[in-house]
Parts: sequence; C-alpha cells; structure tokens
Amino acid sequence: MIRDFIYLKANTVEEALDLIDQHKEDYKVICGGQSLLILMRQGLVAPEHLIDIKSVEELNYIQFDEKEGLRIGATTTHRTVELSPLVLEKFPVLVHMEENLASIQTRNWGTIGGNLCHGDPAGDPGPVFMALNGAVKIASKQKTRTLTLDEFFIDYFETVLEEGEILLEVRLPPIPPRTAVVYEKFNIIKNDQGIISVAASITLNNDGLSCNDARIVIGAAAPAPIRAKETEKLLIGEKISKGLLEKAGEKASEEADPVADIHASEEYRRHLVGVLIKKMVEKAWEQAKAQVK
Amino acid sequence: MTKFNVINTPIHNVDGIAKVTGRAVYTFDVNLPHMLHGKILRSPYPHAKILNIDTSQAEALTGVKAVVTGKDTLGVKQGIWRRYKELCDEEILARDKVCYIGEPVAAVAAVDEDTAEEALDLIEVEYEPLSAVFEPLEAIKEGAPLLHENAERNINVTRHIEWGDVDEAFKQADYVREDWFRCSSQAHVCMETHCAVADYIPEGKLTVWTSTQSHYYIKVLLSDVLGLKENDIRVISRYTGGGFGSKFELDSAQFCSSVLSMKLCKPVKIVLSREEEFMATKRRTPMFYYLRSGVKKDGTFLAKEARVFTEGGAYTAMGATALYLTGFFQSFPYVWPSYRYDGYRVYTNTAPTSAMRGFGAPQATFCAETQIDLIAEELGIDRIDIRRKNAMYADYEVPGQATIQSCGLSECLDRVEEWIKDRGKLPPHHGIGIAAYGFMSGGIFNWFNTPYAFSSAVIQVNVDGKVDLFIGSQDMGQGSNTTMSMICAEELGVRVEDIRLHMGDTDKCPVDLGAWGSRETLMQGNAVKMAAAEAKKQILKYAAAKMSPNIVYDLDIKDRWVHLLARPERGLSYFDVVKEAIRGKEGQPIVARGHYTPHRKGMISPAYSFGVQAVEASVDSDTGKVTLKNCVTAHDCGQVINPLGLQGQLEGAIAMAAGYGFIEDLPMDEGKILNPNLVDYKILRTTEMPETTVMGVTTYEPEGPFGAKEAGEGLTNPTAGALANAVFQATGTSIKELPITPEKILNALRERNKREKK
Ligand SMILES: Cc1cc2nc3c(=O)[nH]c(=O)nc-3n(C[C@H](O)[C@H](O)[C@H](O)COP(=O)(O)OP(=O)(O)OC[C@H]3O[C@@H](n4cnc5c(N)ncnc54)[C@H](O)[C@@H]3O)c2cc1C
Repeated sequence: MIRDFIYLKANTVEEALDLIDQHKEDYKVICGGQSLLILMRQGLVAPEHLIDIKSVEELNYIQFDEKEGLRIGATTTHRTVELSPLVLEKFPVLVHMEENLASIQTRNWGTIGGNLCHGDPAGDPGPVFMALNGAVKIASKQKTRTLTLDEFFIDYFETVLEEGEILLEVRLPPIPPRTAVVYEKFNIIKNDQGIISVAASITLNNDGLSCNDARIVIGAAAPAPIRAKETEKLLIGEKISKGLLEKAGEKASEEADPVADIHASEEYRRHLVGVLIKKMVEKAWEQAKAQVK
Repeated sequence: MTKFNVINTPIHNVDGIAKVTGRAVYTFDVNLPHMLHGKILRSPYPHAKILNIDTSQAEALTGVKAVVTGKDTLGVKQGIWRRYKELCDEEILARDKVCYIGEPVAAVAAVDEDTAEEALDLIEVEYEPLSAVFEPLEAIKEGAPLLHENAERNINVTRHIEWGDVDEAFKQADYVREDWFRCSSQAHVCMETHCAVADYIPEGKLTVWTSTQSHYYIKVLLSDVLGLKENDIRVISRYTGGGFGSKFELDSAQFCSSVLSMKLCKPVKIVLSREEEFMATKRRTPMFYYLRSGVKKDGTFLAKEARVFTEGGAYTAMGATALYLTGFFQSFPYVWPSYRYDGYRVYTNTAPTSAMRGFGAPQATFCAETQIDLIAEELGIDRIDIRRKNAMYADYEVPGQATIQSCGLSECLDRVEEWIKDRGKLPPHHGIGIAAYGFMSGGIFNWFNTPYAFSSAVIQVNVDGKVDLFIGSQDMGQGSNTTMSMICAEELGVRVEDIRLHMGDTDKCPVDLGAWGSRETLMQGNAVKMAAAEAKKQILKYAAAKMSPNIVYDLDIKDRWVHLLARPERGLSYFDVVKEAIRGKEGQPIVARGHYTPHRKGMISPAYSFGVQAVEASVDSDTGKVTLKNCVTAHDCGQVINPLGLQGQLEGAIAMAAGYGFIEDLPMDEGKILNPNLVDYKILRTTEMPETTVMGVTTYEPEGPFGAKEAGEGLTNPTAGALANAVFQATGTSIKELPITPEKILNALRERNKREKK
C-alpha cells in the first residue's frame, strides 16, 4: 500500500527546482507516475514529499532544427512522441519504438523524462537515444549541465542525476547522411518490456558499400543499456557479408553481460543478443544503402 | 421439433449494462457505516513452528481495534470434503505451525487500511523454522520432512481407476510408447481479488458480503468454523469479479473478517492485495505425468497406463477432486478398452493447489494429446484418423465410471479436418496442432454432504406477468444469470426482459451448490426449467377454462401468447390469463418450485461435452518464439442456449488456456513465488489473441435442459495440447513440459540438430 505523503505541484521549472530545494531531505519527483507508483505501492519507495512536474508545460515540447536536431522536453508523453508527424519524418525509429512500448494507457501517462530517469535497463528509449548519439540537459537550482546518454545510465535504476536535479530535455543530433537507425526488442507478449533489445545505427561510406560508422546499443543485457563497442569496431570499414553479421552477433553476445531471471536464462539472453544484432545490423545496413542510390 | 423463441438466440448479458456503467456493486464496493478495515499477517517461512505471538504492541497502536490469532478461533480444520474429515485439514489461521509462505497467522482490524498494515509490522511472531520440502517427487521420499502427522511420506490422497486387463492388453500391442510430462501451475488472476465484508451483530447474526462462486458453501463452511447455526449466517454475493475455481472454498478474507467482526460487533472489510492473491490463495495443480500407451499397428487403442504425482501444497483444498478428475479425463475422449490410473497427491511446503478451470483435465489433455500425435507420427497414421478411429460415441459406457449419452466428437473431428484442409498449404514455420477433449457438466459427488438438492429454483409470477426467478447459482462472469433467464423465459413462454432475477443471497435464494465443475447450465438449468414448467401448468389451468381444449396439454405459451398447440393463432394474451389466474387463486401470485439432483449417473457427471480444437501457430526458429495465429474450436455442448455466451466463454477460455500453454507459470525459490505481480506474471491480452472461431456442433443431451451441456471449463482443456502439437508440426520437436517457452523450444531444436548431425 502507498504510504501517506505530502503532494506538491509545480507549474514551471523554476517552481519545481524551488520545491525540490526546499524539501531536499526527503522528496521524490513524480511525472506520469507509471514507474514510480509501482515502487510506492510495493513499499520500495516512500517519500515524504511528492513533487509533481507533470503540469510543467514548458517542458512539454518536440522541436526540430536542421542544425541542432530534435529536442524533446522531459514531460512530453510517449504517446505524443508516437503521434508526432515531425518525429515520424525525421526520426521514424522513435515512432516504431513507441508503438511497441507498453499499452496506450501507459503511453498516455508515461513521459520521456520519467522513462530515462527511472533508469530501467529494459527501457526502450535509452538504447535508441544512445544509438542516435543523444544527450540530456539536466538542471538543479544551482547549475545546468548537458551530458551524453552514454554517460547517463549507471546501474540498475540508477542514473547520474544528483540530488536536486531534474532532467529537462533530450537532444538528438540530426541523423547523418547515409545513416539508418533501427531498433527491436524481443519479448513474449506484445508491447511488454524487452527481454533483450538492440538499437543499431549504421553509417555507410560514399561508396554505399562499406561501413563508415556504427553505434550499437544493447538493452536489458547489463545493469544499464550498453554500447557494444567491440562489435562496432568490428563493423567499421567492413563490407556486409553473412560472415560479418555472424561475427558481429558473436562479439556482441560476448560483450553483453546479462543475468538470469524468471523470464530468461543468461544463456538464452546472450543468444538473443546475437540474433537481434545480426537482424538489426543487416536491416540498418540495407536501409542506409537504399539512401545512397 | 419445437421452435425456440429464446434458446439459441444471441442475448446480451443481463448484467452487462450494470457492469459497464459501474452500477454493479461488487464486494470491493461495499462500504458500511462504522466499517473497519482488516489486514492479514502471513508466514514468511515455508515450514515453521509458531512458538509465540505477541500482539500487545499492535493492539496499543492508535486506531487498531482488534488483533486475532489462531488462539481466538475454534481451531476447526475445515474443507469442502466435509464427508471425509481427514481431508479437512486447513485451519486458515494457523495455531501451531505454518506450512507455506503466505499462510495466515494473525489478523488486524483498524480504522483504516494504513493503520491495519502498520499494526501488522508490530505483531511479533516467534517461529522455529523447520526443514521444508517443495517438490512432490522429493516430498514422497522416505525421510523427507513431514508436513502433517497423519500423512506418511507426505501422501495426502491416492486415487486408483482401472478397467479391462491392462497388462494383458499391453502384450497384444504392436506399439508401446512411454513419456513423462510436467504440467506447471497457474494463477486464476481474477480481476476482483478475494474479499469480504463481515458484519456481526449482537443479536447473534452474521452477514458476509463476499466474492464467491458459491454463497451456499461459504455459509455452511463459516458455520462449521465459527460455531454459528447455518441460518444465522447470510452470505451475499451479487456480483463476483471472476472465479475460475479460486472462489468456492472458504478463504482468509472471509474467515478473518468474520472472526474480527464477531469480536468487535462491527463490520470489517478485508480485500486481498494482488501479491497476496498470487502468493497465498490457491492455484492450478502442477503435475508430473507418466503415460504408457499400447496400440495396434492400425492405430487402434488397446491399453493405457497413467501415473501422476501432483504438487499438493500445504493442504488438501479441492486437490483430491483434481486428482480424480485428471485420472478420469486422461482416458478422454477415447475408447480405451483397458485403462489403469494411479494418482498421488503429495503435500509440499508451497501454497496449496486446488481447483482451476478444467479441474485437472487441461493437464490430462495436454499429456494425452501430445502423446497421441507422437504415436500417430511414429505409426505413420493421420492424426485426425487415429482420433476418429478411437473416438467416444453416444451410448458408450466408460467401464464402471460413466455413460456417455450424447457425443458429437466425430462430427467435431470432421469439422476441424475440413477447416485444416481449407487452410491449405501453410507458410514456413507454421503448424496446426489439434487436440480433442471432453468435460463433465457438473459433478454427481456429494463430498460436501448436503442434504439439499444440488440445485433449486423458485418462481413467482406476478399480476402484471413479470416473473421473479430465485436461483442459487452464482454468476461470476460466465453468464449463468443470462442462461437461467433464457431457460426460464423459454419454458414459461415469456421474454427475457420479463424475468426479474434474484440471486447471490442465501437469505433469499434457494440452495444451489455453486458455479464450479461446469454444473450450472445443466443442474441449475434443470431446476429452473422444472419450476417454469410448473408455473406454466398453473397458468394454463386457468386458460383451459376459457379455451376448452380437449385436454390441458393441448395448450402452450410462446412469446407471451397462450394458445392451442394445434391452432396457434387461437389464443389469449399471457398477461390477461395471468391476471385472471391470480384473481382466481384468492389473489395469490403463482409460485412454483424446481429442483435437480443427479441420480444413477455413474461416478462423475450426468453429461459430457466434447470438442476438437485446432491451433495454428508460427515458431521463430532463431528465437523459439511462438505466435498464435488461429484457433478454431468445434464444440459439442448439446443444445446451445446463448450463442453469444458460448463465444464469450470460448474466447476467455482460449486466453486462459493458451496462457497456460506457453506463458504462465509460478516459478518458486524455496517455496517463495517469484512473480507475485502482474508485471512479472504474464497473461495473454487482446493483442496476443489469435483469430478465434467456434463451430457449434449440436447434439441433444437427454439429461440437460432443452438438451444442453456444459460450455465452461471444457473449453480450457484442449489449448495447451493443441499448441504443443502445433509446435510439433512447425518444428518437428515435441515439448513435454509446460509452459512451452521460447527457450525450451530453442533448446529442443538444438538437441534435434545435434542428433541429426550425428
Ligand atoms: C505496464 C507497464 C508497461 C511498461 N512497458 C514499458 C516498455 O515496454 N518499455 C519501456 O521503455 N517502458 C515501459 N514502461 C515504463 C514506462 O515507459 C515508464 O513508466 C514511463 O515512461 C515513466 O514515465 P513517468 O512520467 O510515468 O515517470 P514516473 O513514474 O513519474 O517517474 C519515474 C522516475 O523518474 C523520476 N522522474 C520523472 N521525471 C523526472 C524528471 N524530469 N527529472 C528527474 N527525475 C524524474 C521519478 O522521480 C521516478 O524516479 C512500462 C510501464 C508500465 C506501467
């Protein structure tokens, strides 16, 4: 059961940061509540003050700029991202990711900021944003800082957010030419959390044949989403072949560090990493190649 | 043939509008003045002695009104098998020792839930942990820790069924096959968790609102454990948010709220949390199954031997019935000239296992149907042909057990065969699996030891022709309220909207044993039909005076029209006749009764449903992931009463049974359930549902109302087996362990590839 708490509502970023500052001994930020309320109901989190930022409208936006790329405000819901024509045009992979993220009810409430700050290694946006070379803007009453998503996740349900800080926005640079980004998760029932997920961004050289750059991210395979850097190295400079994909799959399953739980064994998770890597790299490669023509 | 006006027409649930508009008051919604809230303290140990319970600190907490432990109860060991005292072994509030994680040890009533929960933390229980055992095959071994003194080697119940000369028949067999299977557990996952509001008044009367499948059972069981007279207890259960077998035994919410209310003379409400629901209510019985079958070269079945060890959990619950029924339905729906079954229910330090939709038959059907496909494959016989060759038929007698009066199995096989043919060539990695099944339409057993008829109904026809129908059956979402209204309307000759239904209240309704064992349509239905026929007879007596037929039997009522059978256009308005009839009866409304108890109907049930299901699934050979595509069911439930109800039952059954087949499980570590929440316990949702089709195969069941049989639990029997066979068709490997997870499929594929390489 949820323990009693004092509910405080912020309407602006400034108000939110003030409230947090005033109650820093014992508080928790709540946005859509989709993750936090579960923890509170299980008694795992019992804050004295709950600071609600869901109505902070200045963080509810999706903006695109050819130079800067895409900016998504922290209180933007999953559903808003999913239905945005702008996102569909510029970052279709995000729409695909959202369509498979939880139920519509959860997507209507859950926010991008809440999802990232919850720090669930099985979350979908994390790996995709990492593959897109994204960054986050974070602020406290004292300071504002920007970090790459590669630096953001630390451990199970732990991020670099310090006491007093909130996440303001996610920034995704424009997708480079001859680049495709794809994402898929493996789950047993549709729209459930992934048992393993893989995001792959492949950039081809001018020749349209060899790989110029690769960003490969694996979700749910370690305490936080991880970049499969060895796998990336293996791909860069190479031309696609069955053998290459096979090797990439093997390498990535080595790089992953999954643990067994009731949903899958460690071995099976490693196997899935291999399967998904092969599939995603091939898919991204083909899509990138199609752009070269 | 009489044409029906109501039967076999699609009628929307009579409770539907109340439910979707939120007017339906479930127990969860009951709030009484001065009501207190209760919480239950549960054992963290799978096996431990209770040395002492100190409740003083909890009692001292502001807002706490009472704390009770087993010492405050009569300590009655209770259970539904009341005729067999040794099988009544559960006290609900443990006094001396606990046998599973989640077993109740104390309960608190306080001004609100928060306070009650806080008080639980203040109760100090001193336990002496005992060594525990979790697996039936371990628990049955010599020297394993014992749960109950009188149960040597932890054997709780054994069941033996045998006919024919099994050993001799095996000698005649051309082909003998042996397999081991493992059937997992499953949670009922009712939308409404177990809950009760108990209100005891100083005059010595107790009223309990509760979510149950049988208000009559709960009333009697409460009287057993509380020392009150049966009829000083009133149980009210107007709406029940799902049952599936989990709600006809006495539960901790009902018992603890009653004990607390009796102590305080105030209403006490207890609603179990979802976690409690998973960890400490009953669940589907896991089974280890050994099967040996002997057949002739041409596929004729000769002999079958089955041995089963079930994980009983800490208490008997309804597990004894599951043990018998799995043995009986293991032979279904085929003619096995000889058969031997030995079942052992073994106590373990886990949450008790009990009844769940299908009651042991889904397990049996999974094992049996998987093995039959393997036999057919081995012998090179078509899988439909082998089933057709051995199918049960009308008037077949299961030796010493049952007589099958109506059986549409062969037709079901034909229909499914046609569908498979029409489906044509399947895409790669697709397979269609089939499973044939049967089920009972209510049990004939009276282990509850009731002197009442199994089902009763009372009808009162009022001056405006509106009909009050009083029934004891419980609608828990399966639609029995609608079914009974339809049966009543058809027999009496009125419309469904003319019926005012009274149910879910032991003070107002006649006794019915409740909604389990797929018994309502046949048993309550027969009682309702009898009452309606009697009421009609009374009405027709008055019509006869006006219409002067040769004999009163020449009259009938259809759609509110009282008429001569031979000349239907000649008649009178039903409403007018009723008014006159009541006037003629010194102003008394027309009252009639009906009842039903099966007699001389073998050991199990008065009637059996049959069916065949085909499941089409695809299997991803890289990951082992299964996707359901189509599910087609030919079901013989005798005369269909409500086609909409049948469709609803079928779709619900598929969601539940397919979930059992490939998703749902209750993994444990040292007796602790690891997924007691709906994040980790997965169930099928609409997005995973395949296309479903039901092909009604109509037979006439002489024992059923208008020829009807069950369409409730039977539909959960085939799906796990059909799914397993679909995987077999798609991949060539057969998985003998439920649930059929992607990981198991992948491992099996690897094994096979290794074997093939060698
Ligand atoms: C049934 C279900 C299924 C789900 N399935 C998926 C899935 O398939 N894939 C997936 O990725 N996710 C899934 N989720 C998780 C869901 O996406 C997240 O719960 C949601 O995005 C969290 O957002 P929220 O606004 O509700 O966060 P909240 O629950 O309000 O907060 C979550 C955490 O983030 C903190 N927080 C919130 N906003 C900020 C901020 N701006 N700055 C700092 N801290 C903040 C809170 O303090 C809290 O610790 C599922 C959730 C549910 C309930």
